[in-house]
Amino acid sequence: MSHIIEFDQVWKIFGAGESETIALQNVDLTVETGEFVSIIGPSGCGKSTLLRLIADLLPPSKGDIRVNGKTPRQARLDRDYGMVFQAPTLYEWRTVLKNVELPLEVMRSAREDKRGRAVKMLDLVGLSDFQNHYPRQLSGGMQQRVSIARALVFEPTLILMDEPFGALDEFTRERLNLELLDIWAETHKTVIFVTHSISEAVFLSSRVVVMTPRPGKIARIIDIDLSYPRNFETRESDRFFELVTEVRETLKEEFTRGEIDD
Amino acid sequence: MVNSEWLTGMTRGSAGNVDSRRWQASILPPLLVFVVVLAVWELGVRIFQPPTFLLPAPSEISRTFFANFTELWTYGFNTFREAVAGFALGCGLGILVAIVVARSEVLSSVLLPFAVASNSVPIVAMAPLAIVWFGIDEGSKIAIVAVMCFFPTMVSMVRGLRTPSPAQVSLMRSYAANEWQIFRKLRWPAAMPFLFNAFKICATLSMIGAIVAEFFGGSVKFLGVYIKTEANILRTQNAWAAIIVACILGLSFYFAIVLLERKLMPWFTEEN
Ligand SMILES: Nc1ncnc2c1ncn2[C@@H]1O[C@H](COP(=O)(O)OP(=O)(O)OP(=O)(O)O)[C@@H](O)[C@H]1O
Ligand SMILES: [Mg+2]
Repeated sequence: MSHIIEFDQVWKIFGAGESETIALQNVDLTVETGEFVSIIGPSGCGKSTLLRLIADLLPPSKGDIRVNGKTPRQARLDRDYGMVFQAPTLYEWRTVLKNVELPLEVMRSAREDKRGRAVKMLDLVGLSDFQNHYPRQLSGGMQQRVSIARALVFEPTLILMDEPFGALDEFTRERLNLELLDIWAETHKTVIFVTHSISEAVFLSSRVVVMTPRPGKIARIIDIDLSYPRNFETRESDRFFELVTEVRETLKEEFTRGEIDD
Repeated sequence: MVNSEWLTGMTRGSAGNVDSRRWQASILPPLLVFVVVLAVWELGVRIFQPPTFLLPAPSEISRTFFANFTELWTYGFNTFREAVAGFALGCGLGILVAIVVARSEVLSSVLLPFAVASNSVPIVAMAPLAIVWFGIDEGSKIAIVAVMCFFPTMVSMVRGLRTPSPAQVSLMRSYAANEWQIFRKLRWPAAMPFLFNAFKICATLSMIGAIVAEFFGGSVKFLGVYIKTEANILRTQNAWAAIIVACILGLSFYFAIVLLERKLMPWFTEEN
């Protein structure tokens, strides 16, 4: 199966009657295995909802979703995806290292070297020196890096990231962008990446999905034809600026009062 | 090399000083107050010389304390055993019931108000009934202490087990964790601070409960009965000495739990 994600006329409606909220309206989306797809849109347009539907943390109201050719539920049970939530969601009674080991523990991973893998992942996100700290001894950005390490540690084929770098400074964010691209290139994973930052979306993705304000619909899907591997020079190329402008224009068309930070 | 070693030695030393200074700051003021109160008490008794049975001087109480040392501590530990048994029984049952109740939204919201309301029920007042049901010996006292410990433990534990955020539960679901794993790796550890809060309350309650329950009758080899009989025959200095034993045992129980908490939950107790 080369379509790793298929949305067929998917709706998500919260509540009923007066308090009804249409979070997603008739979403059609296909993602190929190995793609890096960003989802961008104003706050409240249903980006997190979209991820939660893929993750089987919410059921769709209408329409059909396939993940890895299976129902989202089956994909979840098969541990096909790793999720990075919008908030770090660490367990405060576990040290940083134990937090990263958590998925391996739960999955009773046969992989013998749990500790070793966790250490490697922490190294990757630059937190080797904080293995034995507790989450509350870390800054918000550091906590989010722990949660990224935790999502990668069991090597899922699909990675769902909900604004993982939203709380980070520009410099760290760009460094982690590069590292994420490295991981993606090395492991041939598929990444679905929610962000508020236009430049981040363009820099990382093979495609950018632009959503409309509530009710969330897909306004346009923009192909990012910048070649990989990307680096700091990519950000300075003319094509990069053209694409950033294109995404920005699309977003501007879709809503008058934007909440985009770029 | 030598220099840096000397430096690390220095930092460690000064950190130790800070620690002991903080410790002194927390222990010294209450100690001072205690000493002053004792001094005023002693002085007051010497000056006004009330009859001993009304208010014995601290020196008199301490004389009695050491004169009857073995007797007092034997009775003390008899009562302490009841308190600990009741504590274990009540807290244990509280935890078990909480685990069942916390699983259901409806059950939690229906039962919790009753459990909270039970805080204002004077459970020791049921001691005479407990004697009817469980006999005049330890059984009735243990039962009273158990009931006293049950409710606070259950209430705290239900709250604790339900404290994980939806996102924290979603994380577990995303790993396809089963119910047992969600309990073991999320709900239980999340409930620990709540549980230890309850334990601390119950540690104090259990010693009080056991002694007061003994006031309603039982063998004289227990602290409560001893306090009551000695007070009745106006040998109040003996009663006072027994109360001191009760205080020491109650406080030790409490601090044993605080120590255990520090040991088991460094993530919670380390720095504010
Ligand atoms: N559990 C829920 N119950 C009711 N309404 C919900 C629920 N979750 C989300 N919504 C609504 O659905 C809409 C989309 O929410 P969602 O969290 O997906 O937005 P988002 O695009 O991720 O926003 P942000 O960028 O601020 O994170 C919002 O209007 C929100 O109020
Ligand atoms: Mg969101």
